[in-house]
Amino acid sequence: MRDYWLSKLFFDLQSPALAAEFRADREKVLARYPLEADVRDAIGRTDVPFLAQRTNAYLLRYYFFATGMKDDEFIRRLNG
Amino acid sequence: MASLVGAFAASHGPLIVREWQRVPAEEKRRMSVAYQELGRRLAAGKPDVLVVVSPDHWSNFFLDNYPAVCIGVGASNDGPPEPWMKDFPHRTLAGHPAFAGHLADEALRQGFEPAVSHHLKLDHGSCIPLWKMGLEPMPKIVPMLVNSIEPPMPSLERCYQWGGLLRKAIDSYREPLRVAILGTGGLSHSIGEKTMGAIYEDFDRETIRLFGGSERELIKFLDARLPTHGNGSEEVRNWLVAHGAAGGRGFELVDYLPVPAVIVGCGFASWKI
Repeated sequence: MRDYWLSKLFFDLQSPALAAEFRADREKVLARYPLEADVRDAIGRTDVPFLAQRTNAYLLRYYFFATGMKDDEFIRRLNG
Repeated sequence: MASLVGAFAASHGPLIVREWQRVPAEEKRRMSVAYQELGRRLAAGKPDVLVVVSPDHWSNFFLDNYPAVCIGVGASNDGPPEPWMKDFPHRTLAGHPAFAGHLADEALRQGFEPAVSHHLKLDHGSCIPLWKMGLEPMPKIVPMLVNSIEPPMPSLERCYQWGGLLRKAIDSYREPLRVAILGTGGLSHSIGEKTMGAIYEDFDRETIRLFGGSERELIKFLDARLPTHGNGSEEVRNWLVAHGAAGGRGFELVDYLPVPAVIVGCGFASWKI
């Protein structure tokens, strides 16, 4: 299953400028994407398994790399 | 008439650059030696053009339109967009529009339907091997991006056939061009999935063994095992393109080593042409 707008957010966050803006003001960036409420909530609570079901695995990893999460923590949450 | 002067394959995991300082010394040495040996062999063929067969790691394509195969037909392409690839010494890489266009035309004549792009970003998948192989001067690069990232992906059989098509395109090109092929990626690794970090050494070694035998057995094995041996392992498609271009013969392993620090079963190979 692919959530288009979630995937688009993760794709766009490969841009260092957007990633910096996202780290500084997450809500402002999220407001540009018509995300479903449950998806938006999952981003807010860093629900990695929920997000993993809705996007490509590479994009998922890129997102958490862009937000500064270490791989060990990412893997731990992915298997949580 | 053009000629195929070499076919090669090498791994390209991002951590080979990002975490290079954390790679244990002996593994670093072996990887460096293997990359350099491939670079030496490639340079010895004096290629005018290098067809680099790699996935696109979401650098050019998105869910709006993700082609199975895209040939870069432009006069130049951009270097890697990833910030951590900023030290790669080329911001642009010259292409070879005439040969690339011929390849696309030949593909369409033969019943293959590639996408074409007149300007691509060549991400780490293409550029890490080029960098580590120390190719200076850099031959003209014709990118061939094969989807091994987002389903649906081209079949393994089709990737092998693409290799044969590539060989036909080289043989039928009228100018005296020396063409080499570099397939990048693999061997086993797992990215952004629950098994992330896993390296399937037994799978890798059997894959390597089968590259030395019949392509039927190889493709049958990969079709059965790829779904459970890491999503990154899907990049073996690019090795199959090189294998097909070599006629399914002449595979020679330069080195293989699982490298946990870069979470990739790192493979390096060339084909006797």
